[in-house]
Amino acid sequence: MKYHRFIAFIGIFALIIFNASCSSDLDFNQVNDAKLEPTYIANLSYFDIQAKDFFVNGQEQDIAFDAQNFDVFRDKYFKNYLKKAEFFFEIENTIARSFSIDIILFDQNDQVLYVKRLVIPAYNGTKNVVTTTDIFENAKLDLLKQTTRLGFGIVKNPGTPLTVNSPGNLKLRSSATVYLVLQ
Amino acid sequence: MRKIYLIALLCCCTLSFSQNKQLLYNFTAVPQSLMTNPGADVTYKYYFGVPMLSGVSLQVGSTGFSAYDLFANNGVDFNTKLRNVVYNTSRNDLVTFNEQIEILSGGFKLGDWMENKGYVSFGLYQEFDFISYVPKDIAILALDGNQNYIGRPFNLGDLSLKAEMVSVVHVGYHKNVSDKLILGARAKIYSSPFNATSTKNAGYILTTPGTTTFYDQVIYSDMQLNTSGISQYIAEGYEGDAATDFRKKALFGGDLGLGFDLGFTYYPTKNKQLTASLVDVGFVSHSKDFESFTYKGVYKYEGINPDFTGSNEPKNIYEDFKNAIPLDTLYNKYTTWRPMKFNTSYQYSFNDDRGGEDCSCSGADSSYKSAVGAQLFIMTAPRSPLMALTGYVRHRLLKGLDLKATYTLDSYSYKNIGLGMAVNAGKFNMYVLADNLLEYRDLSKANSLSFQFGFNFIFKDSNDPP
Repeated sequence: MKYHRFIAFIGIFALIIFNASCSSDLDFNQVNDAKLEPTYIANLSYFDIQAKDFFVNGQEQDIAFDAQNFDVFRDKYFKNYLKKAEFFFEIENTIARSFSIDIILFDQNDQVLYVKRLVIPAYNGTKNVVTTTDIFENAKLDLLKQTTRLGFGIVKNPGTPLTVNSPGNLKLRSSATVYLVLQ
Repeated sequence: MRKIYLIALLCCCTLSFSQNKQLLYNFTAVPQSLMTNPGADVTYKYYFGVPMLSGVSLQVGSTGFSAYDLFANNGVDFNTKLRNVVYNTSRNDLVTFNEQIEILSGGFKLGDWMENKGYVSFGLYQEFDFISYVPKDIAILALDGNQNYIGRPFNLGDLSLKAEMVSVVHVGYHKNVSDKLILGARAKIYSSPFNATSTKNAGYILTTPGTTTFYDQVIYSDMQLNTSGISQYIAEGYEGDAATDFRKKALFGGDLGLGFDLGFTYYPTKNKQLTASLVDVGFVSHSKDFESFTYKGVYKYEGINPDFTGSNEPKNIYEDFKNAIPLDTLYNKYTTWRPMKFNTSYQYSFNDDRGGEDCSCSGADSSYKSAVGAQLFIMTAPRSPLMALTGYVRHRLLKGLDLKATYTLDSYSYKNIGLGMAVNAGKFNMYVLADNLLEYRDLSKANSLSFQFGFNFIFKDSNDPP
């Protein structure tokens, strides 16, 4: 009799563990559907030039130019995942002279791929800020993916001549918003 | 590709640790209970386990999500489920996996039937541990980016994981030092064929509105991954078969360590029992094939700052970043501590089989058919100790058939019901222990499961002359 209870118990135990168990339908292949779409923001560039900086050895310069290495969008992984980029520029001018600022993308042969011109009016005592957003998508995005250097050219537009004592600054701040799709 | 699998395996190995064996602890009808308390009240003339099958234990756990949450075939987009899992977990949620297989085990009583010289137990087992906290901030940064998180730091310290395999040779001894007290200890030699530990990370990525620049962006990183035993598999040009090479050194070719277990069982009165044990107080010294990878440094990212004076060389921001927070490979020995486990229990026995007559018998041969008790389990983990509280009932249904039912509260579940059974049929002993039985209604939704079984041959200690 005891032996029967013994066997019965083992049977019940096994039933609880194995037979009564079940599992919802799982599909591990869904991992292949994973798609990450993060959006990152970062500084792009900045400068702060005083009016007197347009004088070199006492001579007024009409143009200022510099280019820096900028090949992050050529990175082979980044390039594949990049779907869109937005460059936001904010320029504040407190110099009594109008300026044009050229933002220039160069390729590895130093050929100009793209130029964005921003014009900021002369300062007249009131807040003088220009903002703009440049969106890179499709064919324009491909230009960005070939870029190795980013150049800045500042051109003084016609107006009242500056002196070494002219007050004010020309400030630029810019950010990049980068849209990635990782699949 | 092989490297990717290996790295994925290591990553998996860093999510979790849970080794509470609440069903096995103090379940003295099973000799393997000595592995959770070397001072357990287990008696035998001698015993040996069926090789490879005397103690098989598997535990998986995840405090924050279940397999169903991620992989349910319910028509919901996987990416939606992934986001829900990431957002519904916290950085202190764990993923753990523990596997233990006894390769050999046995024991014998010292002295003859009349003597009280104690009991020896010994064996060899292999164990794999993986524990990983959910790297929540890093996951959010990968899923969403930082666009909507201005002013909120992403904590790089969220990454904390550890994966380790060890083979353990052990010898234990326990003795009834008085009618009321049993003391036991076990010495262990660890051999670790591989280890990957990254548990002391710190740092953050923070973007705040700036003044001169559009944003103030800072990356501070103090991250380190220590590895041993894997460098040959991840080296450029490795052409061997990783599985075969790994098997060769799995048992005794690894880094060596030492450890011990201590424990006792005390009977203040015949029907009351107090036990406690400290298990795996030990370390492994990783002194072969070690490699550490670090990302340490601070970088303030301002973007491109053109210099219109034309006096300096063009700067390269990416190079600046790599120089500020370089990926360094170091070759320093390191030591890891085994996850130390503390168990304690209090048990009240009743339903005396022999009508309350005096009896010196104890353990598996106790005169009491039933007992209730409570157990506490604490285990060291990379951040804070893991704890579990268990209430249990033991009952001897028949001579040779012992049952233990447990109810456990821990960080994985508040409704963990477990059931264990030990059968002693003649010299043959078998046991099956399983917890989280309620989850067997739908295994895919379980946060943790553990299952243990084993087969032994036990030759009982006897008060009768041979």
